[in-house]
Amino acid sequence: MVVKMRLARFGRRNQPFYNIVVTQARTARDSRPLEVIGTYDPIPKADSYDTSGKLHKDIKLDKRRAQYWVGVGAQPTETVWRLLSMIGILQPKVNPPLPKQRAVPRWTGLFNTKKAPAPKKPNAPAPPPQPK
Amino acid sequence: MPPRLRSGGNGLSPLLLTCVEGLSQRGGSRLLAGLTAIIQNQSQSTITLQSSSRSPPCSAPFSTSAPCELNREQRRMWAWLRGQGKKFKTAPDPDQFGPDGETAPGNGGGPNYVGSFDGTQVFKNNKVFKSEPVLSEKARDAIFSAVVEDQLPLKAVSQKFGVDMRRIAAVVRMRSIERNWIASKKPLARPYQRAVLAMLPQADLNPGEMPFEPINDIHVHMATMQQLFHPTSESRHFTRRDAAKAFGAHILPPDDKLRIPEMIDLERKLASGVPSEEAHDEFVAQTARTEAARAKRLKGRRTMAELNRTRVATDRFEFRFENFNSSAVGRTGRARTAIGWRYGVPSHDRKPDQVKIPTKME
Repeated sequence: MVVKMRLARFGRRNQPFYNIVVTQARTARDSRPLEVIGTYDPIPKADSYDTSGKLHKDIKLDKRRAQYWVGVGAQPTETVWRLLSMIGILQPKVNPPLPKQRAVPRWTGLFNTKKAPAPKKPNAPAPPPQPK
Repeated sequence: MPPRLRSGGNGLSPLLLTCVEGLSQRGGSRLLAGLTAIIQNQSQSTITLQSSSRSPPCSAPFSTSAPCELNREQRRMWAWLRGQGKKFKTAPDPDQFGPDGETAPGNGGGPNYVGSFDGTQVFKNNKVFKSEPVLSEKARDAIFSAVVEDQLPLKAVSQKFGVDMRRIAAVVRMRSIERNWIASKKPLARPYQRAVLAMLPQADLNPGEMPFEPINDIHVHMATMQQLFHPTSESRHFTRRDAAKAFGAHILPPDDKLRIPEMIDLERKLASGVPSEEAHDEFVAQTARTEAARAKRLKGRRTMAELNRTRVATDRFEFRFENFNSSAVGRTGRARTAIGWRYGVPSHDRKPDQVKIPTKME
C-alpha cells in the first residue's frame, strides 16, 4: 500500500488545524498515522503590536523526518508538496500553463440576428458539367 | 361666628370644606393655618397638605383623632432623610458642571454619589465593601518619569514607590499609549477618567505614606503547606534552602521565588548600619545588573528561536516554518508536549468550568 504524506484535519468548526502526517493511503483521514511530522495552522494571524496588516501562517515541521519519508518514497499530497517545496525539500511543482483563451468565444454569433455580409463570389467561370 | 371659607373657584371638594367648617367650630386654629396655605396654593393646581409640626405629614391632618404611629421602617426612613440623606434633598446644580461634565473646583458642586458618605463607601447598602485606592495621575506621572526619563530599573522603581512590578509595567505601557494618542491627536476620554477617579480613593505615593501594596509576596507551593518532621543534627546550620530541599527537590527556596530578591541584600545592609543612600545606590546598581542579564537572556532566547525558524514570504502571507524534533513524543507516544493534535483524547470544550477566555496577551 502507498504511504502518503498528507494533512489530517483537527480543530473546530470554522477553525481548522492540521497535523502533517505520514500514513497509509487507504486509512481514514484522521485515524492514527504512522507518524506525525508537523502541524499546519491555516488561519493567517497578525503579530502582536503589528499594525502593518501583514499576516503569517505558522507551520511546525520536523525537516529531518520529512526528508527521510520523501527519500523512501512516501507520496505527498498537493498541499503537503506545496509546503515542503517552500523549504526546499521538494522541487516546486510547476503548474501547467493555462489553456490559451480563445480570442472569440464559441457562442459569438449564435444570437446575432444580423446576417453577416456574404463573401463576394469570385467571378469565375462555372465549372463544366460533369459527364453522366 | 366661625370664619367662612369662600367656596367659589378654589376647587376644594365639598367634603373637605365640610371638614374645615367642622374643625373651625371645634377651634382647630393650628390646622386651619395649614389649610389656608393650601387654599393659597390652589392657583398652582397642586394640593400639598402642610403641617406646622415637625412630625412627618399625615394623611389626614384635619382629623382630631390621634395621628397614626409610624412603623419602624418609616421611622428609619425619616431619620435617614434628616441625617445622612439631607444632602440628597437638593439636586446638584447643572451650572456647576463644565461643558465636559467635569466639576468646577472649589465650589463644592458635582454629583451626589449615594454611597460616598465618608469617601470610601461605594455602595449605599454595602458597608463591607471598601474600594482599594488606585494610583492617582500624579503617581502615574512619577512612575513613568522614573522609568522612562530617569532610566531606573523596574525593580528599583517598584521598591521606591512600593508598587508591584507588574503594575509599574502596566502604568508605563498605558502612559506610552496615551502619549502616542496625544501625538496623533486622538481624542482622550478625559471626562470619563475624571468621573471614575472622583468615585475612588486615590494614592499619590508621597514619601512617608503607607506602602501602596505588598511588592515581594511569594507564591506558597501546595507541597509546603504540610508539616514536616525532618530530623537533622543540632549543630547543622539549617537554612531556607535546606528547608526547601526537605519539602522536595522541585521546591524553590523563598529567596529564589522573590520578585525582587535584591531587597534582601538591601535590608541586610541597612540593618548592618550602611548609610541609607549608599545602600540604595548599590541596590539600584544591583537591580540594573540583574535586569540587564535577564534582557540578554531573553534576547538570546529570541535569537535561538529565530535561528530555528524559516520565513517564506509569498504574495499573500508569510509562512513560518519552525523546525522541531517529532520523535520527542514520550514513552507512550502521547506526551503532552508532543507535536500536533493528540489522538484518542477527547476535547473538553463542552465540559463545565473550562476557561475559554484568553488569560494573557502576547
